[in-house]
This record gives sequence, C-alpha cells and structure tokens, in this order.
Amino acid sequence: MGSAILNGILMGSIYGLTAIGLTLIFGVLKVINFAQGAFLMLGLFSTYWFVELTGANPYLALIFVVPFTYFTGYYTQKFLIKPVFESEKDVREPIGVIIVTTGIWYMLDNLALMLFGAEYRTINVPSLSEAISFFGLYAPLSKIIGFFISITIAGALFWFLKYSKMGKAIRATSQDREAASLMGINQYKIYNVTFGIGIAICGIAGTVLLPFYYVYPTAGMHLDILDFVIVVLGGLGSIPGALVGGLIIGLIESVGSQFISYSWTIEIIYLLFLVILFVKPEGLFGVKGEF
Amino acid sequence: MYRKYLFGYGSQLTMVLFVTLVFGVFSSYAQAASKVVVIGNILPLSGPSASVGVEGKNMREFVIKKFNAAGGLKCDGALNGSKIKMIYLDTKSDPTVGVSDVQQLINQDHADLLTGAWNSGVTYPATQIAEMNKIPFVVPVSVMDRITERGFKYTFRVAAKDSWWTKDQFKFIDYLAHKSGKKIKTVGFVYINNDFGKSFDDVWVKLAKQYGYKVVLNQAYGEAATDLTPIVLKMKSVKPQVVLLVSDAADAILLQNTMASYDVHPWALISSGGGQADPSFIKNTGKNAQYLFDESEWASDMNRPGLQELNKSFKKIYGSDVNGETMDAYIGIHTILATLQKTCSTNPDKFRQAILNTEFKGGPFSVMAYPSVKFNGKGQNVNAGLIMVQVRKVGNKYERVTVYPEEDARAGFKIVFPQPNHY
Repeated sequence: MGSAILNGILMGSIYGLTAIGLTLIFGVLKVINFAQGAFLMLGLFSTYWFVELTGANPYLALIFVVPFTYFTGYYTQKFLIKPVFESEKDVREPIGVIIVTTGIWYMLDNLALMLFGAEYRTINVPSLSEAISFFGLYAPLSKIIGFFISITIAGALFWFLKYSKMGKAIRATSQDREAASLMGINQYKIYNVTFGIGIAICGIAGTVLLPFYYVYPTAGMHLDILDFVIVVLGGLGSIPGALVGGLIIGLIESVGSQFISYSWTIEIIYLLFLVILFVKPEGLFGVKGEF
Repeated sequence: MYRKYLFGYGSQLTMVLFVTLVFGVFSSYAQAASKVVVIGNILPLSGPSASVGVEGKNMREFVIKKFNAAGGLKCDGALNGSKIKMIYLDTKSDPTVGVSDVQQLINQDHADLLTGAWNSGVTYPATQIAEMNKIPFVVPVSVMDRITERGFKYTFRVAAKDSWWTKDQFKFIDYLAHKSGKKIKTVGFVYINNDFGKSFDDVWVKLAKQYGYKVVLNQAYGEAATDLTPIVLKMKSVKPQVVLLVSDAADAILLQNTMASYDVHPWALISSGGGQADPSFIKNTGKNAQYLFDESEWASDMNRPGLQELNKSFKKIYGSDVNGETMDAYIGIHTILATLQKTCSTNPDKFRQAILNTEFKGGPFSVMAYPSVKFNGKGQNVNAGLIMVQVRKVGNKYERVTVYPEEDARAGFKIVFPQPNHY
C-alpha cells in the first residue's frame, strides 16, 4: 500500500511535468497547444537517439534535448504560429492557431512514423529500472529521479516567472497583451520564448519518462489526454495547479487500483474532471491571468 | 495544326481499339481452351494490419506460382489442366470495404472461390455475402467464434476459434500442475479493455470456477494506460500463482518491464498470442520476459518434415522467414487446392461435399502444428490445435521456444515451471 502511494506521488509529479508546458502556453498565448503530445514524443525520440548513439546515461541527454526542443518550440511559434496569430490579432482566443497546432501534431506524428517506422522502442538501463527499497517501500530509481526533476523544474519556472525580468514580461503579456505592448514589451518575442520554454519542458518530460516508458510515433497521445484533464483540474494557466492536478491523478490511479479495477480508476478521474468543470470551472488554482 | 493533331489522335485511337479487339478475341479463345479457376482474396494490404496482410499475400503467391508452373490442376474432369488465377483486394481492415470487395469479386471478377480476410470483424460480414451468393469462402485465420456458428453452408474455417484458446490455456495450467507436482490454487487475469481482452476474460472467469481456482486478481486497463505499476503492485500483494494475460504490443512491453522492475514474478505468466507475439516484444523486454508462456498456433522451431526446405525457398524470394501468419495462409490455400483436385469442378455444392469428406494430411499439410485438417458440419476445422512457446535464452539471445505439447518441444528444452525467481 505504501508503495502504491509512493508510486502515485512519483508518477503524479511526472504527469504534472508533462502538463506544465501545456498550461504555460495556454496561460500566455491563450492557445491550447494540441501538438503537446507530439512534442513530448519529440522529447522521447531525441532522448532515445541520444542514448542509442552515444550509449550515455539518459539524463545526460538533457544537455542536447533541452536546447533542441527549446529552439524547435521557439521557431515553430515564430514561423508557423505567429503568422496566423497576426491575422487573428483582434480575437482573445484565436481558433486558427488551435487548428495550426493540430496540424503540427499530425505532421510530427507522421514524420516520426516515416522516419522511424511503427516500431516500439525502449532503452534498457537496469540500474535505473530496478526498484530500490527504503523503509519497506519500493520504487525504481528512474521514477525517483523523475520526481526530483519535476519538482525542480516547476520550482525553477515559478521563480523565473515571478522574479526575472523576462518572467515579469511574460506575466505582463499573459495578463494583458495590449497593455504589455504599450509598455514596450515585444509581444511576439515573448510568445516565441514562452512556446520555446513550454516545448523544452516537454523535452525534459520525454527524458524523464523514457527510462521506464517506451517510444512510438504516437506515444505522446496517451499523455496528451491525461494532460488536458490535469490542466483543467489544476486550473488552466497555473503551474502549481498542473503539479497538484498531476499528483491527484497519479494517486487516484495508483491507490485506487489497489481496491478496484484499474480501468475504473480512469473512470473516476474523468468523473472528477466533469465535476470540476461543473462546480469550479476555473480549476483548483485557476485565477485568470495569474500564475 | 489543330486538324493534324486531331487526326493524329484519331489514328492512334483506332490502332488501340484494333489491338484491344484482336487481343480480346485471342484471349477469349485461350480461356476456352483451358478454364481458369478464379480465387478472390480479401486481405488487409494497407492500414493497421497491413504487415500480416502482405505476408499472407506473399505466401499465397508463392504457392500458386509453383502450382501453376507445375501444370495446374490434375484431376479427372472438366477442370483438368486448369490454372489458378488469384485476385487480391485490400480491405484496409475495414468491414465495409471488405464487403464491397467481396461484392466486386463475385459480380465483376466472377470469382469461383473466396478466401481471407484475416480480421474477424471483416470476415464476419464478408462470409455472409459469400453465403448469399453460394460462393465457398475458406477462412484461414479469423478466430471469432460466431463466424462458424451461423449455420452457413459455404464458410469453412481452418483456424482454431476463440473459445478454444481459453480452454487450452486452462488445460495447460492443469498440465503444469500435474507435471511439476505443485498444487495451483490461485489465478489472476490482467487484460486490455477491448473486444479481444474482454472476450477472453469472460471465459476465464467461468473456466476458473469450473477448474476450482480462486481468482485473486482480475484487472483490466485501458488502451491508453500510461503506467501499469498499480496493477503490478496489486499483483505483488495478492500473489496469484498463475497470471493470464491479453495484451497489445505497447502494453505488453510496459507490463513486462514494470514487473521486472518491481521483481514481481508469479509461478507462471501465460499470454494469449497478442502483443507478446509481436516481434518488437522480445526486442524490448529481453531478459525481463524470460519464462513467459505464449499460446500460439504454430512456431518456426517445430520439427516437421519439409519445413526447412519450405522456409528456405520462401525466404529466398520474399526475404522473410515463414511465421504463424504465413503458415495460416499456406494451409488455407493448400486446403482449397486439395479440394479442387478432388472435385475437378467449381460447383459450390460439390466443393462443400468434398471439403467436408476429406481429411487433409501429409504432403504440404505435414508442416502444420497438428496432424490434419478435418471440417465438421459447421465448417470448422475440428483438429486445429494450439501450442505453447516459452521465452528462453538460446545462446545469448531470447527466443520463443516450443515447449508444449511435449512431442513438439524443441530438442533440449523442457518447461521451466515454476519460474526460478517467483514470489
């Protein structure tokens, strides 16, 4: 039972990490990034190939994965999303952009399918996957490391948005992009950076997941659905909300299935999702425009 | 200029028409000289099951080319010397496409016989169209029970059906207990929550009661499950001695690796030929899958006369080894050919009579897992049997090794039960 609670917390924090990018991008751009799962897959694949080609420890892949996914995100926003944004600049929640992100999702998934084939791949690092025991609890090292990375990233991002100059500019843009523009903030530059950061976090989540997960051209899709639930639960745009939403889902899934069938725990998660939508549509931590 | 072009095209058109006419006349003469038997094949040649569809097509081509080159049908009657013409249509694993394929094969191509469609969901409606048109349909693979339970006269299935898979799994558990002298009291079921998994689980629960096993774990997970640790932890706490599985490829890999990571190993893990039979499974689990049993219709390491030669000549042309899927296609098409040799006619009633009255064995049938093909009145091959393979270390690789029935076991390999590191 203790191990189930522990697994719930560890997996929950990692689920939270996969959702942070989504919530950040929504918070600032007011765009639901449907390509979230596809970018997660990009993170999984780039970690996979890094490990496969260099034989190095998977966490070393972060040196490559973070800049790679950051710039992928940055330039995706700059060249693919921005033009649509500009044409819809008078709308608060631009629909065209959502359609563009859906297009990117399909494009990336099919590109991966063409390049790497419909084959399941895993990396095998026994020292990371073997469960270690402490105080009678069991958990694989890869998930424990994943937990600490998730907490660190969430904390660092929170700090960055609260205190750094760029962070303040990002928050200003998210609150009122026109007022921010009037104050001399380059709105589209902020969008590029935010999208870059959001996608880089996806990349990190890919590195964290791979040691105990698998990669496949549509591997991100399963987490995609989960991420939407997490983000709604925690509050769209809220970073602590994403983490708490992830933890709630991780715990329901892991502890719940010790008593009832695993597939029923998923039903409970969706039920909770609906209840939150009815009762508290802004989510647990959702205060509009505030992080 | 315009006129010239017009005339230019005109003369070309006339030429083409003339050539077509001449060829048409000649080819109809040729057809009259020796009749051609048309076999319509519907297979998933694109879409999610394309790889098995293409493999099946390759094997059919392989058999028919050889058969036609050797002079076609040799029998006493109208069809003596006839060649076989194969027509392949793609179902895309879609029942609606499959149905229109069958209609096209019957109405336009005048197929004498039909075969396919791999996916049970496509075979089910496709055989109905064939039945209405009185065209015999030989089903090599699709396992859904109901396909041969509608009282159809012209549907014949070579493969074992759904309910036999579960029945044989329990027979096998019984065998394990007897053989090892260990008492098995508890079982657990873990399955993917779709048609495939649910239909197995329903029967498992009934069979467990019948055999007197206590079901201590019965867990389903969704197709989109991202973490199977909760199920593994539950397994660790309730400790079923034998665990039965139905999985697709991704979740089979995830489950097996998670079990190894938490060092959770029941006495025996028995899967149902789903994801565990996918080549990517062993590649991504390796040692973690050691001692897993997978139920199968056929395995390449079975010691059968002529199998090595067949594999060699097939691989030379198509570049892949004969596997369970291609073997099904091989047996299916040979069943059709052997029946045609008997009837020497394409009359559907004669075909039915001959296929029901024949026990297909020896010759090409000697490479099968079971001794012969014999159909009952419902058109089901009653001899279709299943085997068990166990994932074992061979040299420095992990392979599927046939271990049951004993007489088919790979030389030098005995069943390992309970597995050495069990809880």
